[in-house]
Amino acid sequence: MAVRPSGISPESCVFVLVSFEGPDRYSRAGGLGVRVAELSEALAERGFETHVIFVGDPHLESVESRMDGRLVLHRWSQWVSKYYPEGVYQGENEKLYDFTESVPWFVMDGIVRPAAERGKIVAVLGEEWHTAETVCRVSDLLYYHGLRDRAIQFWNANNTMSFHRMNWGRLTFTNTITTVSRYMKHIMWGLGTNPLVIPNGIPARAVGPVDEVAVARVREVLGGRPLLFKIGRFDPDKRWNMAVEAVARLKAMGMRPVFPMRGGIEPHGAEVLANARSMGLSVKEVYAEGRGVEDCLRALEQAGPADILDLRFFVPEEFVRVMYRAADAVLANSGHEPFGLVGLEVMGAGGVAFTGSTGEDYAIPFENAMVLDTADPGEIVGYVAHLANHPEDADRIRQGAARTAATFLWDRVIDNLLSKLEYIARNQGVLAGVGGARSATGGRDGR
Amino acid sequence: MADDLVVYAVVHQPRRVKLPAQPIPRGAVPEDIERCLFDERMNERYFRKVAKWCYYPATRSFLELVEEGFKLSIGFSVSFLRQAEMWDQELLGLFQRLVRHENVELVGVEPYHSFILLVDLERFIERMHWAADYLEKLFGKRPVVTDTTEMCMSDSIYHALDRAGFQGAVMDGRPWVMEWRDATHLYHNGKRMKLLARSYELSDDVGYRFSNRTWSGWPLSADRYARWLRDARGDFVFLAWDYETFGEHHSRDTGIFDFLRWFPREVRRTGMGFLTPSEALSKYADRCYHLPLPAFPSTWAGSGGMEFFLGNSAQQAIFQLMLHVYNTALLTGDARIVDLALWLLQSDNLHLIQWFGRGGSEAEVSAYFTPDEWWSLGPGGIIWEQQQVYRNFLNALDVYL
Repeated sequence: MAVRPSGISPESCVFVLVSFEGPDRYSRAGGLGVRVAELSEALAERGFETHVIFVGDPHLESVESRMDGRLVLHRWSQWVSKYYPEGVYQGENEKLYDFTESVPWFVMDGIVRPAAERGKIVAVLGEEWHTAETVCRVSDLLYYHGLRDRAIQFWNANNTMSFHRMNWGRLTFTNTITTVSRYMKHIMWGLGTNPLVIPNGIPARAVGPVDEVAVARVREVLGGRPLLFKIGRFDPDKRWNMAVEAVARLKAMGMRPVFPMRGGIEPHGAEVLANARSMGLSVKEVYAEGRGVEDCLRALEQAGPADILDLRFFVPEEFVRVMYRAADAVLANSGHEPFGLVGLEVMGAGGVAFTGSTGEDYAIPFENAMVLDTADPGEIVGYVAHLANHPEDADRIRQGAARTAATFLWDRVIDNLLSKLEYIARNQGVLAGVGGARSATGGRDGR
Repeated sequence: MADDLVVYAVVHQPRRVKLPAQPIPRGAVPEDIERCLFDERMNERYFRKVAKWCYYPATRSFLELVEEGFKLSIGFSVSFLRQAEMWDQELLGLFQRLVRHENVELVGVEPYHSFILLVDLERFIERMHWAADYLEKLFGKRPVVTDTTEMCMSDSIYHALDRAGFQGAVMDGRPWVMEWRDATHLYHNGKRMKLLARSYELSDDVGYRFSNRTWSGWPLSADRYARWLRDARGDFVFLAWDYETFGEHHSRDTGIFDFLRWFPREVRRTGMGFLTPSEALSKYADRCYHLPLPAFPSTWAGSGGMEFFLGNSAQQAIFQLMLHVYNTALLTGDARIVDLALWLLQSDNLHLIQWFGRGGSEAEVSAYFTPDEWWSLGPGGIIWEQQQVYRNFLNALDVYL
């Protein structure tokens, strides 16, 4: 019988992240691809052998080794993806079938069995509904082949999408369910499962310094007017109409707000802009000629006056952070947000995030963010007016935001993740010792 | 009393389709369509299982028996040979040793175990030539006597095989075909090609009933069985079985291998001799009788008619889809697509759903051959998903038309 490791460490554990989205541009449609890319890098940086199995770019290598071999990308279903060049979710059903059918065998034969032969255990982390059946089959296969006790399996919900088509009984029986916020936990209680909460993380660059010169130029270019900013998909859940109505009310109050916004290609955008115009807001489409911060600034300069600046160009991450910092209010005001990564990123840039009050566990009103409890645009208006009248509150919130964001760096989140992995692994007998708190040997930095 | 015994066994593994049906990407090339259609992982699993419990021990037994003078005729579907070439070269080598033996005759079989013989006789003839070439290349012997698929035989099939140049063919000696005739003689249907009629009851005593403890003949010993053979009225007895009878349909613990070991010796003790099919054609050439064959094919499956394959609504739907698939594939003009359509004509896709809406022993046999993995879909799910395989294929052909 194999000796069981006593803790989760790079010497004892191999990670496998199983996800539809992943690090390739082809594979990123939303926050999931970012999460998987950053989590996997953070694990590899911590020294863990980490495998990412995802629907990868069909024109890149099927297996790519990074970070001195610690991070291995497995681009799955490339033979299907070659027929669907538009991205990860084009040909979704075709990819889903292939993924579900073939990944479990590879996880067993290509990762768990070799790891077990080296005396290691494997942590399998599945992401989102697309992988639910896959991780169930991984568990079944490992069990059938006598390897189930060499693996711990987590399945994580980042959203509620397709919850209705999942076999929760089977998934809960075979995997430990996790999610990203207490809000999600409460939703999932209703489905008969009690997930562990492991929040999302942000990379170190998300809390690094912001180009203050650029921040000042943005304020100057926009004439020092009250600046509101919003970025995200045009999805009703993101409450775009609430945002533009708040801008309209601020304008009616004589505050002369300006609202640069960046939406997606979704049809809801047309409704939002029509709504804005109907409320008397002027809208200008803004285009940039390049992809750098300077190009973005020039685009704003040349846009001329308008209430809403509809940014119709790729906005680089660096400039997004400038806008987060420069704005008086960044409207991350979703009505349903499993976690709300944008709000946290705003805070990381030292911005004032106006979050909703669903999955944004990190947001504490008037301490590190403004938390909107309703869909009433008046709530935004009131808080914007308050901060305009109390700049000391805004400064305090910005400082609190930066402090909070730093506690959500991936490195810190991984501590939380490892603790819960150890707890589950001990309870399942995968690790030696009794169940309970994390052992000293597996602690961060050897604590 | 019959003087001679002709024994034939056919080796076959189906190329099972993949259920639930895998959606095929639009514009997929034939190789990618193929990977969506067939469950090769499942096929390998079943192949290895049957190899372990049947093919290896049975072939070793037959090798010993032919050394001792027993004569065997053996047929292989290309469906099986392809799997053996992919997954077990050692087993293939063992079969090659067996076939090369002078006491073994190689018999032709429709290569994909398909029902092309019900659909397109010209193509059927082509396929039988192709199979003969394939077998000759692999075994160094070219079949002159042939089986078809599930031993299907009719007037049309007879004439097609005669035109294909075979000297003899095998068929099942069911009463509804034989009428007042005994299966223990050599027959013809008006042309040069001769017919060996399988003694279906004696064959099924081993093929089906050997391990049935409720059967009045159980337990069947080799000496008793040999006496039954010898007591048959006529010239020779032609027995034919699935090769998988030995170790797969009847597991080792039923005593089937002990029976096999003793059976030739006991036959010899009765005074009977062994013949290969070709030797039977020669020996009894001057006593070859006319047997009018029916328009509706006979088969060795079930009660001997095509109702075993086409008797329920689910089978009829699949058969319609087979016709659509084959004819649409022809329209594409792409040989690789036509080849996939021929695979989808495999008779097993009808055999495996014979149980639908039925009960009794035949349905039990059919359900036994339905992969265990499919039952989680439920009976209705199996039927739906199997049809979906064909529909997906038809949709995938759109870009080729």
